[in-house]
Amino acid sequence: MAATTETKTHQLAWVYDLNKCIGCQTCSVACKVLWTRDEGEKHQWWMSVNTMPGLGTPKDWENMGGGMDLSTGKARPGHQPTREEFGGGFDYNYQEVFYGGTAGKAHLEPQAPRENRWAMNWDEDQGAGEWPNSYYFYLPRQCNHCSNPVCLTACPTGALHKTSEGLVLRDEETCMGDRFCMEACPYKKVYFNYERHVAQQCIGCYPRIEAGVAPACVRQCPGRAVFIGYLDDEDSPVHKLVKEWKIALPLHAEAGTGPNVFYVPPLSPYRLNDDMSIDHETPRIPPEYLESLFGPTVHDALATLKSEMQTVRDGGSSEMLKTLIAYKWQELLGPFTVDPATLDRSNFIPVETIA
Amino acid sequence: MNPISASDRYSQRWSWERATFGTHCLNCLATCPYRVYSRGGEIMFEEPAAVFDQIQEGVPDMNPMACQKGSAWSAQLDSPDRLLYPMRRKGERGAGEWERISWDEALEEVADAVIEAIDYEGPESVVFEETVEGGLLAQAAYLRFAGLIGATTLDANGLINDFPAGHHITFGKFSCASSVDDTFHSELILIWHSNPSYTSIPYAHFITEARYHGSRVVCIAPDYSPSALMADTFVPIRPATDAALALSMCQVIVEENLFPRDFVRSQTDLPLLVHKGTRRFVRGPELMTGEREDQFYWWDQATGAVELAPRGSLLLDEADPALEGAFTATGTDGAQLELTTVFELLKERLADYTPEKAGPICGINPGVIRELAREAARKRTKIIEGFNTPKYYHGDLMERAMCLLLALTGNWGGPGRGIQGLALAGLDGYMLFGMKQKRGVAETIRVMDGLDGAIEALRAQDEEASDEILGYELLLRGVAAGTASPAAFFHFYHCGYEDTWNTNQWSDPAMTRPFSEYVSDASRRGWWGGLVKPGPSSDPQVLFIVATNPVRRQRGGSDTLLRNLWPKLEKVVVVENRMSATALQADILLPAAMQYERPNLQYAITHSFHVGFSEQARPPRGEARTEWQIFRALSEKVQERCSEHGVTEYLDGRRQPRRLDNLGSAFTANGAYENEESVMDEWLRDSIEAGTLSENGSLGSLKEHGTARFSGLGIFAPGLSLAANVQPDKTVTAFEWHVEDGVPFPTLTRRAQFLIDHPWFVEAGEDLPCHKENPAIGGDYPLLVTSGHSRWTIHAVSMGNSILSGTHRGEPLAILGTTEACARGIEDGDRIRVSNDRGSYTVRTRVSPRVRPGQLIVYNGWEPHMFEDWKGSNEVEPGMVKWLHLVSRYGHLRYLPFGWQPVPADRGVFVEVSRA
Repeated sequence: MAATTETKTHQLAWVYDLNKCIGCQTCSVACKVLWTRDEGEKHQWWMSVNTMPGLGTPKDWENMGGGMDLSTGKARPGHQPTREEFGGGFDYNYQEVFYGGTAGKAHLEPQAPRENRWAMNWDEDQGAGEWPNSYYFYLPRQCNHCSNPVCLTACPTGALHKTSEGLVLRDEETCMGDRFCMEACPYKKVYFNYERHVAQQCIGCYPRIEAGVAPACVRQCPGRAVFIGYLDDEDSPVHKLVKEWKIALPLHAEAGTGPNVFYVPPLSPYRLNDDMSIDHETPRIPPEYLESLFGPTVHDALATLKSEMQTVRDGGSSEMLKTLIAYKWQELLGPFTVDPATLDRSNFIPVETIA
Repeated sequence: MNPISASDRYSQRWSWERATFGTHCLNCLATCPYRVYSRGGEIMFEEPAAVFDQIQEGVPDMNPMACQKGSAWSAQLDSPDRLLYPMRRKGERGAGEWERISWDEALEEVADAVIEAIDYEGPESVVFEETVEGGLLAQAAYLRFAGLIGATTLDANGLINDFPAGHHITFGKFSCASSVDDTFHSELILIWHSNPSYTSIPYAHFITEARYHGSRVVCIAPDYSPSALMADTFVPIRPATDAALALSMCQVIVEENLFPRDFVRSQTDLPLLVHKGTRRFVRGPELMTGEREDQFYWWDQATGAVELAPRGSLLLDEADPALEGAFTATGTDGAQLELTTVFELLKERLADYTPEKAGPICGINPGVIRELAREAARKRTKIIEGFNTPKYYHGDLMERAMCLLLALTGNWGGPGRGIQGLALAGLDGYMLFGMKQKRGVAETIRVMDGLDGAIEALRAQDEEASDEILGYELLLRGVAAGTASPAAFFHFYHCGYEDTWNTNQWSDPAMTRPFSEYVSDASRRGWWGGLVKPGPSSDPQVLFIVATNPVRRQRGGSDTLLRNLWPKLEKVVVVENRMSATALQADILLPAAMQYERPNLQYAITHSFHVGFSEQARPPRGEARTEWQIFRALSEKVQERCSEHGVTEYLDGRRQPRRLDNLGSAFTANGAYENEESVMDEWLRDSIEAGTLSENGSLGSLKEHGTARFSGLGIFAPGLSLAANVQPDKTVTAFEWHVEDGVPFPTLTRRAQFLIDHPWFVEAGEDLPCHKENPAIGGDYPLLVTSGHSRWTIHAVSMGNSILSGTHRGEPLAILGTTEACARGIEDGDRIRVSNDRGSYTVRTRVSPRVRPGQLIVYNGWEPHMFEDWKGSNEVEPGMVKWLHLVSRYGHLRYLPFGWQPVPADRGVFVEVSRA
């Protein structure tokens, strides 16, 4: 168990229902517009959605190592992702095309070499398999605010700590920019700010949480696909989905960090036989692939979900599905139901920006 | 909680002084209410306002309603493609050389051009491309100016083609969409020819939630589409064969006798009598002297005789019309008539679509068709359609076949049933605006009384007509006095489309003559009389393009307009907030304020059934102005300049007198509509008066609550066409009036009409719905381009948003299936040449196994100047127009704004690709 700087009393958790996620990136954009538009932050997408299977962001992150060696309590070796591997942050030649008098010659394009170019969701909707039985799904990813935060373990300067709410937060004043956290994080969700020379990562929208407002990724999700709440609150949907019904599973739990972001695994349409008749037996997404992401209990989770859906189709009732539907949007927000527009935040405005 | 410190950068970043309401007024028509957070006159960020109440117990609410475009709008306000100052081109058009000028210089140059055009060629030579972008205030501004001078406004649906002609052919209207939450009631959801994962982001959740509620979801698409991920069953279909699939399902339903007999007999024309030989309806005077031409008959089994099919009600009451059988009757001329029913004709037609015959056409296993048909017959079924079918040459056949499937399964007029496209709810104040001479409720009542009087006068001619039908008649009279013109004729006569449309090998093989002969024929018969503007012999002089982008989307490539239309124009005036492909080709660029910089209201759409409202959160950047300010100032400038040109009064195209020397004061109704707020206030008050909004729709209430739900359908036909009982605690279900109350449809036969016995439809073999192969548009090539809207933009808007472009590859893409790519030695990321007999362009490719062999997906919205040589994906789209849509003056087949008219196809184009 990794050392924590204070007594943990709660653990915030997110549950993403991959059967409601439509890959629209509103969570990613909501996060970026709110938190990472300053200098050195262009390539930073604390929240990102990738098409799976795919190389994702940073490129090929699943093969970059990192994680917690539970026998030693130390970080496993890992690759430190480069800015190019995160990719994106394109600049365009607007001036040349619009005002340069080069009509029809120069065209607007990202001003970065095309070779090895990459972006946050470069392999969008690409997928795997073979038509008509190709497959893919969307995987929203953020910092897992782990129970055994290996970034914290790996940090030589003690810049990271786990809050009483279970968030893993970085003190950017203390951070020396050593980037061991980037090597250690198995999810590769730590970013480096090359301008300010500090690492940055999802802050769990703590200023919002403090004010009783749900994180931007949750509150803005048009698919109503993500729940937040305290894992230890037995009435919370996240508790029920993760602990009681066991249909929300961690991603790459084998990395040993105790992630607190969970996923309701993806169902998929029936496969088709060669004569285009429907194969009701063989799953479209190979089970072993899902198992590689969500562990061996993914099969049980999918079976539970399917069985509940059948119950409802047969006229029965399911608490689980009612929970996933979330008839009232606020059910997704856990205890963080405050409307930010009702808050007075003027006292947080930095003095130098007040005209 | 242990914050790092209250003064840390993140707590500071999440701070604001003001939270205003904002929405983006885009042509996604979602109109999501946002909160815009600002401090020191700068916008920090926005976030969905999430102000919707749960409407119906047991149905999820609509919150939060958002998408990534809306959530990144603040980043777009200061995007590098933003236009900030009036500019005049230097050098050649489109050369990319500009000089900044003052507003006064710009307006004077535009005003002079308008006055000279009126003087030389008449006011109809001043042409406006209609738009549905920019919000209602933008549209009201240019429409008011155009209306006052008697200009030409090209019908938006003739330009962008969001018009499902097949809905109109069947129902006499294309407004069929229930509110989006109604989907939750469905037991079977068919995502068909649409991709809600991309195009309905704010309310796609009703599909996934309906699935958890017990609905089965089926996605019918050529590729394993992003929306197939939501489905239980993916039915891959050969592109453009959807009519065959729907008809095959109909065949199974009829064969197995699964259809609801009373629904079919009451709602549709299937029991009506036709002549056995000619397949024409038996019309009133044929059997009864003095009967109306639009009176039809059925065989009543209760009386054992031919009876009048009621025109005033769809309810069967005591009648027991036969669906099947052969009958004889004696005509008024004494002849013995051999008659049968439309249903009998339909059965014959459906025999061509057994699953065994349709399966190979569609590439679908016959067993799958059978099962799907039986399921649709048994369940509350909704088709999630969208606007993809209208973009296909034979899209109308697909739509008609889908409507037939709904008819034969009893699937409209009840919760969870029907077909989702678009419906316009009534912001009636907007409709009343142009009719009022001055502000105030007394004037509103005067206008509404006048409308009532006109309606009653029309009713006296046909007492069995519904309010909706009379509303359309009234609208037709408005059209006759208005500025609207179906754009196809403008393209035909002025933009060089004649040769393209005469290319018979790209058209329906059933055509026996070149397209232009059908145009002449239609013109000779006066079918579009008074609507072709400017006339064939008169050149357009000034083109205004406000918040729209024809150079990007023009079927036939950007060059078609630039080569054929531009040289005729004295002045091209573009009012825009960003440097679009069209702005690049302007003579004068007038910078427009963006949403968050100005107040606005948005189209009233039934998706959410709420009014869209946006406030000003910061002043416009640079010298940008709102369209209302721009056209107000232009009106004043024309008033000021007209006497210098000696053009103070003139006769318009309809020989009505017009004045320019009071244009400025006419624009503001003598100062009553000084600014946007005064206009919005008036619209909202009048909408309350007309009954489409309750008191919570007042401007004051909107400022407090951000939105308001519509409380009724109002008094105008577009709203009434929804035919729904609006209740505060129920989802809105289209067509309830037709099913529950028997209110007739606004068609020739007053029923959902599947037989169109117009001679051209008969000649085409399309009198009843059928499947036709997609014409070889573009030539004989192996790949069919299916296109569709992208995930990250609304058309080209947002293309310059640096945050959104970071969520994808940031460059135009053509998506090719793995096997097709392999066969051509193409790898992911390669530059490829897409070409056919129409043209070619170069683009990067994405290779993906989700794409069907024989298919190429090119999501649209990319600007031509994002492609090499500024040749975009429209280079290979000839923009063919289906000849049958030239038909008019046949019952409900006549021009209506946004409605029935010839529309260009841009999808279903054949191409080849190779490595570039």
